[in-house]
Amino acid sequence: MTNHFTEQTPEASCMEALQTAGRIIMENGGETYRAEETVNRMGTGLGLENVESFAVPSGLFISYRGEDGNPVTSVKRVRRLGRNLTRVDEVNQVSRKVFTGEMNCAAALARLREIDAMPGAFRGIWSLPAAFLCACGFTALFGGGWLAIAIAGVVAALVQGMETLLDRFRNRGLTASVVGGFVTALLPHLLVFVIPDLQVELIIAGAIMPLVPGLAMTTAVQDTMRGDMVSGLSHGAQAILTAFLIAGGALLAVAVIRQITGGAI
Amino acid sequence: MPLWEEILRAVVGSFFGTVGFAMLVHVPKRAWLASGVIASFSYLVYWGCLHIGFSDPTSIFLGAFFGSLAGLLCARRMKIIGTVFLMSAVVPVVPGLGLYRMMAFLAQNRIGEGADMGIRAMITIAMIALGLGAGGMIDKMLHAHSLRNHHI
Repeated sequence: MTNHFTEQTPEASCMEALQTAGRIIMENGGETYRAEETVNRMGTGLGLENVESFAVPSGLFISYRGEDGNPVTSVKRVRRLGRNLTRVDEVNQVSRKVFTGEMNCAAALARLREIDAMPGAFRGIWSLPAAFLCACGFTALFGGGWLAIAIAGVVAALVQGMETLLDRFRNRGLTASVVGGFVTALLPHLLVFVIPDLQVELIIAGAIMPLVPGLAMTTAVQDTMRGDMVSGLSHGAQAILTAFLIAGGALLAVAVIRQITGGAI
Repeated sequence: MPLWEEILRAVVGSFFGTVGFAMLVHVPKRAWLASGVIASFSYLVYWGCLHIGFSDPTSIFLGAFFGSLAGLLCARRMKIIGTVFLMSAVVPVVPGLGLYRMMAFLAQNRIGEGADMGIRAMITIAMIALGLGAGGMIDKMLHAHSLRNHHI
């Protein structure tokens, strides 16, 4: 007797490979046009006929003509939204190999599962030095002195640590943007009580940089340029909303400080 | 600030700042160095344009435009997704300071100045988008029939 839950037909495993490739791209900050192109090229490379795909930021639809001549369609809901461009790049490499015939369906699926399980190089506590470096670099760029550079780096690393904690409670995203903006603006203002001549504005500007939605902005432009208005507007709205939430957090911090100091700052 | 220090800050600051940002979004390791170089180049174009008298929005547009062209060229050569380098080209000119200043003014009930900063930040974002878009369009025209165009 065939166990339908553990054994897949070659066609079903091809569909799973296409779904997995598209899903990984969309879950890790890739553009929707890239997910569609990857699915189409991989499908063509795997010998499937009439491959069509349609992706929106929250889902992926794939269709092709099955062996019996009838259309085969699948729908994949995309829920998790992260930022891991190494995974997107790895899927791209798999897609290239499938398209040129260097990789078959089973090998592609196995590799895609590996990519899906691949941890990020700078996750958890390792993201703190990255945030430190980012904030230090940008504070120097904005004209900050050595002390401002160092403080901005420490503030950004602390905020990154908080984001990592929020992530553990599945609360990353918009909440993290508000909290990040708040803490980033609050800490330098509090330090002014200890170090009066601190370059507060430059520290905040530098420390806020690891939070800015640079990837969402790039993705929005890329999708819009390819004529994918739905995804472009969706990513653009996400970028603008994130930016305003970070700024909103900073606004709260400034308001709190003004209350504490009676409007002196 | 002396000119040499401004240039040094532009190159070193945008390089390390962007490499740190690239690490945070898990850019492939082989692209870290190139990401930093693209960011420095893009910021230098912006800074240079400002220095010779172009307006801020025009300078941002040109920085994003030439940065995106260089980024897409790099993506093609290294066979890495273009998003990595496009993001690197724009991160140094993202108006983080402008948005913060806007909110700081609004918190002090200085609505006019806050609105002014907000509009400036929005113009900057629009110029970045235009620069990226224009760079992408030129690149697409130049490489329309190239086989190496796969997934860039």
